[in-house]
Amino acid sequence: MSEEAVLPASRRMGRRAAAPMTVSQRREGSAGYLLIAPTTVLLVLFYLYPLAQTVYYSFTNWNPATGRSDALVGLSNYTHLVRDPEFLRASANTAIYVAVVVPCTLAVGLFFAALLATPFRGRAVYRALIFVPHIAPTVGTALVFSYLLSPLGGVVNYALSAVGVAPIGFLTTQPWALVSVIVFSIWQGVGYSMIIYSAALANIPPSYHEAARLDGAGPVRRFFSISFPLVAPTTGFLAITGVISSLQVFTQVYVLTGGGPLHSTQTLLYYVYEQGFVYFRGGSASAAAVLLLLCGIVVSVLQLRVLARRNTAELG
Amino acid sequence: MSRPLRLRRLAPHAARHAILLVGVVIFFGPFLWMLLTSFKSSSEALSFPPTFLPHAWRFDSYRRIFTVAPFGLYYLNSTIVTVLATFGQIVTSLAAGYAFARMRFRGRTVIFVVLLAALMVPFEVVFTPLVTLLSQLGWLNSYQGLIIPNVPSILGAFLFRQFFLSFPTEIEDASRIDGAGVWRRLWSVMAPMARPMIGSFAILSFVYNWNNFFFQFLVTTKSRYYTVQVGLAQLQGENNTTDFGLLMAGSTLAIIPVMIVFLVFQRQLVSAMSGGLR
Repeated sequence: MSEEAVLPASRRMGRRAAAPMTVSQRREGSAGYLLIAPTTVLLVLFYLYPLAQTVYYSFTNWNPATGRSDALVGLSNYTHLVRDPEFLRASANTAIYVAVVVPCTLAVGLFFAALLATPFRGRAVYRALIFVPHIAPTVGTALVFSYLLSPLGGVVNYALSAVGVAPIGFLTTQPWALVSVIVFSIWQGVGYSMIIYSAALANIPPSYHEAARLDGAGPVRRFFSISFPLVAPTTGFLAITGVISSLQVFTQVYVLTGGGPLHSTQTLLYYVYEQGFVYFRGGSASAAAVLLLLCGIVVSVLQLRVLARRNTAELG
Repeated sequence: MSRPLRLRRLAPHAARHAILLVGVVIFFGPFLWMLLTSFKSSSEALSFPPTFLPHAWRFDSYRRIFTVAPFGLYYLNSTIVTVLATFGQIVTSLAAGYAFARMRFRGRTVIFVVLLAALMVPFEVVFTPLVTLLSQLGWLNSYQGLIIPNVPSILGAFLFRQFFLSFPTEIEDASRIDGAGVWRRLWSVMAPMARPMIGSFAILSFVYNWNNFFFQFLVTTKSRYYTVQVGLAQLQGENNTTDFGLLMAGSTLAIIPVMIVFLVFQRQLVSAMSGGLR
């Protein structure tokens, strides 16, 4: 992960700061501010300021349509949320989504990365074709899925009919709609975890595998005893980024199911969007957004901690 | 070589190819199906049993998509937004990354850490007040609204900082002694040497900006400013999702630019994606 890259850099930075400044360097200090200004100012304006507003509005009855927030309402937006069945449904859906999509994406990605770990003819082509869903725009690919899964002309239902299964409304009936959104997301995410895992597997010295082979370990045993433990940091990194991006799922839900049927595919971000721009309840939208952010932070802190413990355990 | 031995040698290879072929059908098959459907008539797209190859190759769907919606305009909008946002991301990230890596000024570390922390905050959390802010600025349904909030890139600043940190200082010192000022050194000496990094980041940024839907969806309500992604999602809503020939033509058009970039710059894209994160 980023540790190797970040640490030496910051150390170097500290060492340089200790050396005395020359006049020309001091004069260049103001140029430094100018160079970082565009990024910093735009980030403050379009990112950090709205973030502060989100936190503030979560304690008010803000209406995004009129722009008015007349009253501080304390925690009532939050207490309203925990009693709102739609919010609870969206939370449960998001939890199910994260719990299924993240491990499946990682497992399938690692599986293909392991299959493609040793060079053979056609390897690059296989890798490219499996990777493509990850970079294709979600709106386009989700539309393709809505066609494949359609009861009208959809090839999946046709294949099922060939083995005697009646057509399934994959996107319009429960619980299939949530299953379809989940399958789509796994399909879309595998390419990325495969690429990151490929890089991690390539860093394992081949001598480890050779030694194990001489001891009589088969490919499966070698995978679980050597490769899998050695890519643990990558697994941790992918799990964190996977959870955080899964918390923000919107586009595939919007295109595939529109949150339906009966809110069965509504996710937290979809809820925030609806509260803010469909019902104009800016207070609830902000409160839900704050909870979403807290979830992300808690998850990444927890996972980083578990990961750090595992790393130190391995060293000690 | 005896037969069973040879079989034992070849069987794992065959099994591997078989599994990978299944993978290719699952992961790439939908794109092929999309492309084939886009050349079918709308009624053939709904036929049961479905046809694999079109009975007759037709370009109707592609012709129609430009008449049922101003798809040419959407394409122009997406191109303008993607090119300018990508350009803005490169210039601002290059400048910030250079300053964070090579220049000394008070608060440098603090500002950098704050930016890195902001990377933890997904855009999705701040969009409600952000859209209100853009509306107050009169930036909804405008190019500046679609582009400028997307210009600052923390990841970009971080990647360029890493690049310049790992770069030898001698050449820059030489030009400093020759009397080149900061600007001269950055744009005439350092930027040209950062070309590989600029290339990788440009591809990453292009793919991100072209594919962006949620932000563009929030900022645009008038079809005059729709991008390809927004226009395509609207087209689906209006057509009640049954005109699959038309929708697959639209999807193909939305996906093609990214596919071309991927085919041409595969190696840089993959190394930028994995390299930037390690």
